Amino acid sequence: MLMQRSILASCGLAAAIALPLSPAAAAPFSCPSRGGDLVFGQEANVNSLDQMTSSTISTRNIAMNIYESLVTRDENNKVIAELAESVEEAPDRLSYTFRLRQGIGFHNGKPMTSADVAASFDRYKRIGLQRSTLDNVQGWEAPDAATFVIRMARVQPTFLEALSSFSVPIVIIPAEHKDDPPQQLRPVGTGPFRIAEFVPGSHAKLVRYDGYKPNTAYEERTGFGGYKAACLDSVTFRIVTEASARVAGLETGELQGVEDVPTKSVEALKKDSNVTILPLENWWIQIALPNTAQAPTSDLNFRKAVQAAIGAEDVMDAATDGNYRLNVGFQYPNQPTYTDAGKETYNINDPEKAAALLKQSGYKGEPITILTNRDYPAMYNAALVMQQQLQAAGINAQLRVVDWPTSVQMSQKVNSTEWHFFHSGWGTQPALGALATMQFLASPGANYRPRDDKGDPDVEAAWRDMNDLPTEAERNAAFARMQKLVLERAYAYPFGSLTKVQAVRANVKNFKPFRIPRFSNVWIAK
Amino acid sequence: MIGVVARRLLSAVPVLLLVSLITFGMMRLIPGDPAAAIAGLSATPQQVQQIRQDLGLDQPFLTQLLHWYGGLLQGDLGRSILLGRGVFASVMERLPVTLALSAYALVLTLLIGLLAGILAALKQNTVIDQLAMAFAMIGISLPSFFLGLVMIIVFAVHLGWLPTGGYIPLTEDPWGWFRTSTMPAVSLALLQAGLLARITRSTMLEVMRQDYIRTARAKGLSQRSIIFRHALSNAMIPITTVVGIIVSLLISGAVVTEAIFSIPGIGQLLTQAVLNRDYPMVQGGLLLVTGFLVLVNIGIDVLYAFLDPRVRYE
Amino acid sequence: MSETGALPLEVDLAGPAAEPKRRSPAWATLRRLFRHRLFVTGLILFGIIAVMGALAPWITTANPNRLAMRNKFLPPGGDYILGTDNFGRSLWSRTVWGAQLSVIIGLSVVALNAVFGTLIGALAGYFRRVDNLLMRINDALMAFPAILLAIGVTAMLGPSTLNVILALGIVYIPRTARIVRASVIVLREMEYVQAAVAAGAGHWRILRHHILPNAMAPMIVQLSFLFAYAVLSEATLSFLGLGAVPPTPTWGNIMAEGRDFMRDAPWIICIPGVALMITVLGLNMLGDGLRDVLDPRLRIQQ
Repeated sequence: MLMQRSILASCGLAAAIALPLSPAAAAPFSCPSRGGDLVFGQEANVNSLDQMTSSTISTRNIAMNIYESLVTRDENNKVIAELAESVEEAPDRLSYTFRLRQGIGFHNGKPMTSADVAASFDRYKRIGLQRSTLDNVQGWEAPDAATFVIRMARVQPTFLEALSSFSVPIVIIPAEHKDDPPQQLRPVGTGPFRIAEFVPGSHAKLVRYDGYKPNTAYEERTGFGGYKAACLDSVTFRIVTEASARVAGLETGELQGVEDVPTKSVEALKKDSNVTILPLENWWIQIALPNTAQAPTSDLNFRKAVQAAIGAEDVMDAATDGNYRLNVGFQYPNQPTYTDAGKETYNINDPEKAAALLKQSGYKGEPITILTNRDYPAMYNAALVMQQQLQAAGINAQLRVVDWPTSVQMSQKVNSTEWHFFHSGWGTQPALGALATMQFLASPGANYRPRDDKGDPDVEAAWRDMNDLPTEAERNAAFARMQKLVLERAYAYPFGSLTKVQAVRANVKNFKPFRIPRFSNVWIAK
Repeated sequence: MIGVVARRLLSAVPVLLLVSLITFGMMRLIPGDPAAAIAGLSATPQQVQQIRQDLGLDQPFLTQLLHWYGGLLQGDLGRSILLGRGVFASVMERLPVTLALSAYALVLTLLIGLLAGILAALKQNTVIDQLAMAFAMIGISLPSFFLGLVMIIVFAVHLGWLPTGGYIPLTEDPWGWFRTSTMPAVSLALLQAGLLARITRSTMLEVMRQDYIRTARAKGLSQRSIIFRHALSNAMIPITTVVGIIVSLLISGAVVTEAIFSIPGIGQLLTQAVLNRDYPMVQGGLLLVTGFLVLVNIGIDVLYAFLDPRVRYE
Repeated sequence: MSETGALPLEVDLAGPAAEPKRRSPAWATLRRLFRHRLFVTGLILFGIIAVMGALAPWITTANPNRLAMRNKFLPPGGDYILGTDNFGRSLWSRTVWGAQLSVIIGLSVVALNAVFGTLIGALAGYFRRVDNLLMRINDALMAFPAILLAIGVTAMLGPSTLNVILALGIVYIPRTARIVRASVIVLREMEYVQAAVAAGAGHWRILRHHILPNAMAPMIVQLSFLFAYAVLSEATLSFLGLGAVPPTPTWGNIMAEGRDFMRDAPWIICIPGVALMITVLGLNMLGDGLRDVLDPRLRIQQ
């Protein structure tokens, strides 16, 4: 029992369990005003609302207002229970027992039971995108309607952290939908909003689900969970791909909320008293990765020369038009696992030092290819500045601009000779924590593309420690070690963190910037 | 007549077969695959690899080709990778949007184009003629994507008269449809109206120089009767051809216009499919669209033969 | 690029010359051209752009690709005559270099069409045996919505200036070929050609000396319009991110990069947009003039 407690506390589940002991705080949230339709201008197209088989941000934006999971993350990214009332880890750490909250019903009117949970896990195991989450799981069962048990094949200290990931969450769906083919899940969940209309490429309309039962373990919405209530009658996500159109729509009141406001427009919007600007800091880590399978990026001195040549301010300024924060490494300062280990490698901006390192590396002016794409302007812009900085240091840097699918495919090829640096943005994974982020740098598939996909043994050792060490403190120390190694050996060039600006009309209340636009507990002031 | 139509339909088969072969080959030669597109930005390499396996993208080229034609023979156009839905259903869902927009643009084109062309011909060598032709010249010289962007800046951003984008179906809210469709329709129509005005003017002028018009004039028929009874009806023949060409232009026009105004039509569907490497969608969708265009052209030819008794198939 | 399909239209009506023209001395044609108001206006408009492009290295001081983050979003006027973009690059420099690229791409597409469009059209029109095969391939390529074909081809070949030229070639050559073929079919049946055949002239000689020279007039008119469409289509492709690789300063690239800022920095998209319009307008006027002068069947009293 003692064991269980400490683990749960470490996972942040204490809140859910300790609730009966917590002082009776203020009454739970209640809508100051109900009604209204909120139209939200979304940047990217949505093709499918199948949250189990889609990892795109645009899908999650909408789907996570419809679906819920057993466990999720709170405002500070701690693991919390959502559809579960409590989670119990067995002393041998080989099973997890979830007690389900009672009285929860799906949008189709059927009550949610452990059979639905088991069916959801069945579908996820079969076609879920992140089904490797369940690799160490032996099986699951539903001993009674309100209990769900996961049995592990081997101990995985980080299991609950992985299970609660919102990258491609294991959302709970009605049992009869478990055989829906990939991308075709019927959108029925347990969340505060249900789908009323979905036209891919155009809009999705959600309406209040009247049978929603809020999680009374909380008083307020927190992260993806907490006490949620639908104050709005409906929310319409409209796809508005032109940034200027989104801004104009917000100004005229045609849209009540938008995402991704260009920095240039923020200045003007700030003067508009009808608009509230909501910067969402740490949206992603702007990053470039070397291809260490081919020369000259296989050479440490060359990679360090590039590191010395980079000035993070100009790169980030171009990437974001000025809305950024300098940031060392792969986590953000507000996160518990943040470390500035390896900070001496960051933002050196010293062309002379770069030139000296270049000389040591034996570089002879071979053309260097920077691979980027124009689907994500921030990556293209960052690559453009990096090219200029490398040229200033005496490197014959060329841009190769392709589209996103091509750049991903090229960058993932083993022993590729087509590129030297690949530009990307790490969004969801850093937000999920160090573990989720560093898998980008672990083999197989390590993003610095080591020869034959065999990662640097020291880095791999640190990665194993991050996963397997029994205590959180030890795992965090392993993360700091891994980050320092990666930065010192220049396997990645994280430039800083990018701020994404959301904005709403001033009468839209309690809309807090978050990784998805959350519409529970948001109301329109009358 | 029926025999002629049947023969035209039959001759379209090898064309469509070639279209499908070209599409298939082209799509497989494009680098990048749908896995990366589906995975989006924040996916890990493992997730991308997972999708790739799930989609069976590792099958040999010939197997995939045979599989696609096999399905086609059974009337199955395949299933979109990205949307997870049947290609035929997806196209049929988007088609009304593009058709409604195109119809609106066509009405504007006919109104503006015919009016400007006829006026210019009647008032040949006057200021009206010059103005109409200057308008037509600008119409055919304005890039439609530039016109679309400028209209957004002026009418949506600065004046706030029209919404910046989006689409409301005609069946749902006619006024909303009108508001969301006007800028896209105008940006589609201006080029075509310019073309039509130029053709109408030159055909009218040519027709009016013909002997029978001179005869009609000599007989003292009213100017109005000459224009409508004789000149315009004869000018309809080349104009019909032009309208046929305009209809086939609309899909191309829709690609750019729909992207700028966020309209969920067939143009967006196909562009997204190409950019996301949604092979079945591109193959099936293009086959349907080209098939549709071929049908339109046959229809125009039939209409042409109907309007002009002199045109007879050999 | 909806503009592309306009191509057959202009020329279907232009058609082949009704009868072989008596060769008028070139200077008489030229004199008529230079008296033609539309032609001269078009020539001046297009000439401005072409000369700007040709003189790009000498009339721009700033490197069009040099980033200067501290100078971003400067409006026209001031130190930068046409302002700067979101990277602080000079829009004057970028637009002028863009003019050069537009003209080069347009000319290359015209050249490709002049060679291959004529070749394929002449073969199909003259030799009945290959006609069917060539025209079916032609029909298939023309059955594609032009822009989607161009998008597909550039996606396949990868974005680069050369590949844009190839893609536009693939889109337009079938259209040019069809027009040449129509002229050749008519000319082939002309008495003077039949007479040459009877006199035992070889196919090649007949094509070169009797048919192609008389198919030239509609060809030249066609190519001048084609120039306009090629410039427009190139801009559209670049705008969609499928043209020359950025940061290459093409008009479409500049406009695509300025798109997010069109609300607060509209000059970034408007300056290349206006340049594009002037070019296309000039070329269309030029084409009208050429058509009036070279192809009298279509001349309508001015």
